[in-house]
Amino acid sequence: MERAAPPKLDLRGPDRAIPVLLLLGLVLLPFLAGSSGYVLQVFTHALLLATLALAWNILGASGSVSLGHAAFFGVGAYGSGLLSLKPGLSPWFTIPVGGLFAAVLAVVMGLFCRRLRGAYFALATLAFVEIPRVVTDNWEGLTRGSLGLVGLPGLPALTLGPWRVEIGSSAGASYYLVLSYAVVVVFLVALLWESNLGLALQAAREEETAAKAVGIHVDRYRFLSLLLSACLTGISGAIYVHLTRYTVPGLVYSLHFSAVPMIFAMCGGRFTILGPALAALVLYPVDQFLFHPLLPAGHEFLYGLLLILVVLFMPGGFWGALRRSP
Amino acid sequence: MWITALVSGIALGSFYSLIAMGFALIFGVTHAFNLAHGELVVLAGYVAYWVWKGWGLSLVLTFPVAVAALFCLCLILQRLFSLLREPLELNSIVMSFGLAILLQNGMLFAFSGDYRLIRAPVLTEGVHVNGLSLTYGQITLVVLSLVAIGLLHLLMHQTYLGKALRATIQDREGAALAGINVRVMGLVAFGIGALCIGLAGPLYGSIHYLYPTAGLQATLLAVTITIFAGVGRIRGLIVGGWLLGLVESAAVILLGSSWRELVSAVILIALLVFRPRGILGREEG
Repeated sequence: MERAAPPKLDLRGPDRAIPVLLLLGLVLLPFLAGSSGYVLQVFTHALLLATLALAWNILGASGSVSLGHAAFFGVGAYGSGLLSLKPGLSPWFTIPVGGLFAAVLAVVMGLFCRRLRGAYFALATLAFVEIPRVVTDNWEGLTRGSLGLVGLPGLPALTLGPWRVEIGSSAGASYYLVLSYAVVVVFLVALLWESNLGLALQAAREEETAAKAVGIHVDRYRFLSLLLSACLTGISGAIYVHLTRYTVPGLVYSLHFSAVPMIFAMCGGRFTILGPALAALVLYPVDQFLFHPLLPAGHEFLYGLLLILVVLFMPGGFWGALRRSP
Repeated sequence: MWITALVSGIALGSFYSLIAMGFALIFGVTHAFNLAHGELVVLAGYVAYWVWKGWGLSLVLTFPVAVAALFCLCLILQRLFSLLREPLELNSIVMSFGLAILLQNGMLFAFSGDYRLIRAPVLTEGVHVNGLSLTYGQITLVVLSLVAIGLLHLLMHQTYLGKALRATIQDREGAALAGINVRVMGLVAFGIGALCIGLAGPLYGSIHYLYPTAGLQATLLAVTITIFAGVGRIRGLIVGGWLLGLVESAAVILLGSSWRELVSAVILIALLVFRPRGILGREEG
């Protein structure tokens, strides 16, 4: 069995330049993009996908493969959308609540899938998405079924002393909001892998029996990592729904939101911290700027092809391959 | 109403067994977990639709075309799956997930996202006995599925090749030690799998609407029946297919047709939770 290097973001080593340069580039992007709203829109979505890939990889780096994160994404999106629509609560409040809803769903899933590993866990997650999707589709009194939610409130204005930023109506402000959320997620993930929880997860990934023998509550830690991953995914779903201000079950519970975060994490490198985010920031714009104009129908074949190639030839992802060849 | 449900449940169930058969055989012999199985069935349906609508071939002649097309594709897939490294089951799931996305987008490009149905008038006609109606479509579904499964049963239990296949399913290393070429058995499994998929595709296209993302449901039911029955147990696959067909029919009557999609997913989760190691048909010692 191949041993993977523990996921570690070395901020003192030669890698220090990469996150700093990346962040600088992302902060300056709205000025470089000029008046092109499309470029900004693509990168906003790329950042959102980066948060999904990072959240997925909390499970991925602990050795589990989930094929059903769209369940958490969709529940977060619908939870926040419905609360902001009917009781008319502020999205600042409903977005974290969307994350909580996703975490509640993860509790249910975690209780059922507690003893499943590897291929069987992956299969269970694939089937699990169908439950919230079909329920959302059929509970028409609450969710309006396949008609979906329209006219959702956008992200509200943020008032800080004398400044007032209209986030909902400004592409630039939306971009910075998603960027700050992505930075928060990166730091959370980095902290996680430094913490006892992260160390326990790595130990369980390498040798579950040995980890249990030294007294690590493997099941409890796996459960916690599922909760955290689901909660962050739900928050991303909630932000997404207030950015697009519209949703239908087929959109947020789609294979796209299960597959794409996984593909970014696999391509970027499952056993790195920034790899999944980097892959999202490179691959999604490439898909949108190069392949979408060429092939309006079916441009996402690129993601499928990449996943096949990475599984077959590059199990450590691009970043992993880069590191191995000095 | 319940009699009609029983008939359509058995008809659908026989067809489900045919879909599960190809999946179970490939998984049993090569341990490749092909999540793109449903996409292959849908693709075979599209091929049949295409030659039926475009070339004006009769429905019967669409079967050999679909089988031939799937045969070529499955030979390529066999090469891909044989390149995988350990852990084989998880890696094959992830790779075939990529394959499913690739096929979905390929079908979206080639056939567009419109809903298609092989609408042969002869399939909706039928015989009526004592108020019980059987359409020719349902009769074709049952007869063709059961004949294919019966032939496969004969192959598995009456021929030397079948014996070798069963030995490989039971124990790959043991079979290799006994002089069975496990790689060739993998090729044979993919070949027979292609046959099952090629037969199931045109049937699928005549009872369900074809659209590029339709395959996930077919994959889920193939996995569900296989886990229920265990690999290489042909009678178990038939029983599993019928049970699933009947439960789906009952769910349509009791809850409404929109809840049908949930049946195989819920049963699959329940099977995984209560029989996590049941998939190879025996407890691992």
